[in-house]
Amino acid sequence: MRHLRIVAAGLVALACAVPAVILGQSAAPARSAAAGATSAVSKPYAVPRTADGQPDLQGFWTNSTYVPLERPANVNKEFYTPEEALAVEKRAAERESEQTEPGTVADVHYDFTQFGLDRSQSTFARSLRTSLIVDPPDGKIPSLTAEGQKRAADRAAARKAMGGQYDAVENMPIGSRCIVMAGAGPPMMNAGYNANYQIVQAPGVVMILTEMIHDVRIIPLDGRAAPPQGMRQWTGVSRGRWEGTTLVVETTNFNGKNPFRGGSEAMKVTERFTRISPDRIQYRFTVEDSSTWTKPWTAEMRMAKTNGPIFEFACHESNYGIANILAGARADEKRAAETAAKKGSN
Amino acid sequence: MRTGLVLTAAVVVALLASAAPVRSHHAFAAEFDAAKPVKLKGTLIKWDMVNPHSWFHIGVKDPDGKVTTWLIEGGSPNQLIRMGVTKNTVQIGTELLVDGYLAKDGSNKAVGRDFVLPDGKRLFLGGSAGNVGGPVK
Repeated sequence: MRHLRIVAAGLVALACAVPAVILGQSAAPARSAAAGATSAVSKPYAVPRTADGQPDLQGFWTNSTYVPLERPANVNKEFYTPEEALAVEKRAAERESEQTEPGTVADVHYDFTQFGLDRSQSTFARSLRTSLIVDPPDGKIPSLTAEGQKRAADRAAARKAMGGQYDAVENMPIGSRCIVMAGAGPPMMNAGYNANYQIVQAPGVVMILTEMIHDVRIIPLDGRAAPPQGMRQWTGVSRGRWEGTTLVVETTNFNGKNPFRGGSEAMKVTERFTRISPDRIQYRFTVEDSSTWTKPWTAEMRMAKTNGPIFEFACHESNYGIANILAGARADEKRAAETAAKKGSN
Repeated sequence: MRTGLVLTAAVVVALLASAAPVRSHHAFAAEFDAAKPVKLKGTLIKWDMVNPHSWFHIGVKDPDGKVTTWLIEGGSPNQLIRMGVTKNTVQIGTELLVDGYLAKDGSNKAVGRDFVLPDGKRLFLGGSAGNVGGPVK
């Protein structure tokens, strides 16, 4: 359920942004002109430091973007021209603002636009990339291994055996149950809305708060030993270190209950955070899981500085939707049983 | 224009496969009934600015003058808060017309497809926060 007024506003914003994009490209050194290029900008950026000397990544950041994880079919280049990128954004923003048809399932929803939740209504890091995946060079997730395919089939079968999605609370998506958002990561994939993070640093530790559903990673930087194999967590266990001005975070020990793109418990995620300007962090991640994919793969995106604070996401506390959905499912069943009984008695 | 034509050819395919639509936190069509649209006119009693979704409590008066409280589900308030919206932005007692769908379980709940003020304006529209988009960096 979308509204033309917002579409119009979005178009104005995009139109205004055209000169900025073009200027941004032409003014930048050749090597960095390709937005999202893997190297840092040619002109050295003096990364600010915290009181204890760490490169300073602190603040509120968003990885909201219109760039898809995988390169669209029939696009065979790494970067769009600025004009093409704007056209892609414009179309995506229009889709976000489209009206749904009254009386349809899709229409049974609040209006994202009315609550400011369209991507075009808040900060996002504009990019010319055609996909977030930079390796493999085709911008696609590598093929699943035979083991990965079998695991996917086994998981689907196990899920089916549990019954209908609304038969029991355990059958509902973990995000709906406020346990962890599917893309909360690591790797940190952009949520559809509220794709925001807060980074706080203290001596020997970095904290990353994920807004959607509310997850916090406390990442030690003191070189402590890897966690024991038996210690498994929803968001894995992270260990960090500095390589120059880049924060490198390696995460293992996932519990396998929130599989990222079909990954296994053995998945290892290596994230690299590099502040490349006052209002941008370059965020790269590599996913390694030889039992799932035929080779490791790497994606890159920008995190743009945004405004805070992040309002608390006390998800469980007010998750009335869960009870309402289960009550709705039981009401549906009751009505169906009554209808069947009526038919039987006729 | 030649440039335009080239652009059109190159971009059309990409447009079709651009970023996926915004994902909901939970399935609203499982909670509310697409076959039961409703229009409720009432006054705001309370707005719970909570997550994962906010709830509007409105008092709806029937023809006999009896007031019934309805709970209307809306969106996460977080982005509105970033835009400067507070609990006081919509005063208690404000008249609201809610266009939505009734809860499947028959309780006095609905999803607010649209929240409209007496002057016909929709709540919160037109807002944006931060440096939307901005240059490529």
